[in-house]
Amino acid sequence: MSEQSQVALEVTGLAKSFGATRALRSCSLRLLAGEVHALMGENGSGKSTLVKILTGVHAPDSGGYRVGGRAVRLGGPAAAIAAGVMAVYQEVLVVGPRSVLENVWLGADGVFRRKISEADKRERAAAVLGELLGEAPDLDTPVEQLSLSDRQACGIARALVREPRVLILDEATSALDVATRDRLFEAIARHKAAGMAVLFVSHRMDEVDAISDRVSVLRSGESVATLEAEDATTAELVRLMTGAEHLTDIPEGGAMAHRTGPAADAPVLLRVRGLRLRPDADPVDFELRAGEMVGLAGLEGHGQDAFIKALWHGPAGEGSVTRVEVGGESEIRSEQRAAAAGIGYVPRDRRGEALFGTLSIRENFSAATQDKDTRFGLLSRASALGRFAEYRSGLKVRMGRESDPITTLSGGNQQKVVIARWLARRPDVLLLNDPTRGVDIGAKRDIYALLDELTARGVAVVMLSTEVDEHIELMDRVLVFREGSHSTTLDRRSLTRQSLVAAFFGRTVTSSVAGSASPDGDS
Amino acid sequence: MNALDFLRGLLGKRPYAFAGLLALLLLVVNTALQPAFLAFGNWAAVLASFAPLAVAAMASTPAILSGGGGIDISIGPLLTLIDIVIVANLLPNGLTSPFVVIPVCLAIGAAIGAVNGALVAVLRFQPVVATLCANIVIGGLATQVQGDTVPSGSTSWTKDLAGSFGPVPGALLTIGAPLLIWWALSRTPFVKALYAVGGDDATAFSAGVNVPKVRIAAYSLGGLYAGIAGIALMSLISEGAASMSAQYTLLAIAAVALGGTSLAGGRGSLLGSLLGAAGIYLINNLLNVVRVSTLWSTAIYGAMLLFAVVVGAVLTNARRRAVA
Repeated sequence: MSEQSQVALEVTGLAKSFGATRALRSCSLRLLAGEVHALMGENGSGKSTLVKILTGVHAPDSGGYRVGGRAVRLGGPAAAIAAGVMAVYQEVLVVGPRSVLENVWLGADGVFRRKISEADKRERAAAVLGELLGEAPDLDTPVEQLSLSDRQACGIARALVREPRVLILDEATSALDVATRDRLFEAIARHKAAGMAVLFVSHRMDEVDAISDRVSVLRSGESVATLEAEDATTAELVRLMTGAEHLTDIPEGGAMAHRTGPAADAPVLLRVRGLRLRPDADPVDFELRAGEMVGLAGLEGHGQDAFIKALWHGPAGEGSVTRVEVGGESEIRSEQRAAAAGIGYVPRDRRGEALFGTLSIRENFSAATQDKDTRFGLLSRASALGRFAEYRSGLKVRMGRESDPITTLSGGNQQKVVIARWLARRPDVLLLNDPTRGVDIGAKRDIYALLDELTARGVAVVMLSTEVDEHIELMDRVLVFREGSHSTTLDRRSLTRQSLVAAFFGRTVTSSVAGSASPDGDS
Repeated sequence: MNALDFLRGLLGKRPYAFAGLLALLLLVVNTALQPAFLAFGNWAAVLASFAPLAVAAMASTPAILSGGGGIDISIGPLLTLIDIVIVANLLPNGLTSPFVVIPVCLAIGAAIGAVNGALVAVLRFQPVVATLCANIVIGGLATQVQGDTVPSGSTSWTKDLAGSFGPVPGALLTIGAPLLIWWALSRTPFVKALYAVGGDDATAFSAGVNVPKVRIAAYSLGGLYAGIAGIALMSLISEGAASMSAQYTLLAIAAVALGGTSLAGGRGSLLGSLLGAAGIYLINNLLNVVRVSTLWSTAIYGAMLLFAVVVGAVLTNARRRAVA
């Protein structure tokens, strides 16, 4: 067999931007028939974008890919599937009310033309599901009556019954129970022997170790290296994923080296007890003290987002979030309660959840505090402008006139306005969900300085960030989430890029006592 | 297990059971108050007066099942347009053969449905907006074709449709045809694809289902059914009915909801819509029998619909909770 015929998937120079964000800069990759090829990278390294291009969901800006030596026509998932690429995602994609059989064979027929006989469908679905689940479930059961793991098995079976040349598992194992995952790995070994190539995107080092033949690493949208499995040590992978050059970005000790954490006697402002983020995850306990800056970290989708939202709208399931005030305690069960109890929340999706895109800068600022600007029931523009002025200079908002549309500002300045909106309510607890995403470095510095000043005044800050450097520079302690549980706490002294990224992947757990005490309180 | 749980279980599995039970109950009440209602000789007339609403409800179903906020509120004007085209254009010009009239009506219905489907699935207009525009345009066309004097006319086979072919009530054909077409389609992959697209279009898309094609086909099928409903209406009243379009639009959608079909798409059935239409028809009949002013009937339909939607929501929630 020639070298060329063994190449199942050849990716060359793929690039893709979303607006100003360059999700994928240059990605080249070669998958051989009959290999399991792991793809690793931290948040925002471009893994998901790559997978979405390969499955036809996104069209690349430049570059292309070939399957089995033939260039793939771009035209949605149907075209990618026809070329032999099928993917299973972290998100379980099934049609709940429909039967197991229909879900497994979804998309295999034309709209009116049947391509596979009913008897064949039953037989092969039963065989593949039997392989994955030990025993196939009743094929006529609505999929919504199965467990999450079994539902995902149906999604995987959907890919396997079509016998793709290239199977992409994009964190697809995270919804599986251990037994099903092990059976999947056995099934993969068999399909691999038959020549299928597997692109295995996983955050679990143990899984990567267990089944991959080679490992490629993506960093900042670029493919940086491909290693043979035996060379892919944890240390080497973390080094490749984090990239040595980033280390020089942070000044020795950080610009926030003076941060000492909250005073030993700082009062608790927020208390979380037994908060379960997922039914199968461990409950989280957490206390937030005045003047403290706490980071929430982890790979995308591991519970940190659910956690910060639970602090804002209360627990979705088990557990309690309690706001502790001088006057007494109150349980947070809704955004309204949280806001009334002096909690502010800057959402992640700026455009969708925080900005009024059609309104002016001033109106965006005053949206949460309009009651302060009313005179005899009428809104006073001057009052809002006066209030905005104090935040404008403090936050160094670079802008034209207050009456300009908010969309005339850069992302960073828009974010400052959103933060100012909450600061105007004078919160005691400020929750920020990835506030510096898509924000330029200068604006980031301004936001850091503001947060530092706020905590010095006794405000407690909880900030989810997808940027490792941000945690290292700013945080008094960082809670690392894995699989919906709070897996590790890293305090300021033990925070390094390596320790944090290793913790994301569940390795080299560096645990220590949270919130190191400082002798002199500054709150 | 108490009675409520039992009912929940039954309705959870068969969402149309509520409409079925309601229709059965109303049938009993109607017959008790008016024994002639179910007399053998009366069947054909009862079914014929039920047929337009029954078929209009079934016509509204595929668009709603297709999900993505799918709904077709142009069904009412479309069926009155078909009715008017028959009495004003076809019959006066000597085109009386069922082998001409029926294909023409079905083709008009399916074509207009396909245009709606393309507006929704290809140009991505919101279904309510797209079919509201269609509603207005078709309603206007119907008024124009009808003209100043209400046209009327009939021919032997349309009279039989409103009466009976030998011992067979003619309306069984108009009510049976959509069910038969649905049964035939469910032997192709289309019906499954329709439920999949309505249930979760992102999943269907990622699995390679041609989502726009399925949706266009769904609206087109609804239009085809509206063609049948138009024939049923024309047979019943033998005249133009431009003024009746709004009534059919709303009652048909009410019947679909009452029949347990989720307005969010992906769950429901044609049979449910038929039973829902029966519930509404029988309530209307009952209100007539007990001489409640027709001015009240709309408010009563509305209350029924509200009740059905609440029952539906409670049941679906109970189910989701059980799964989660």
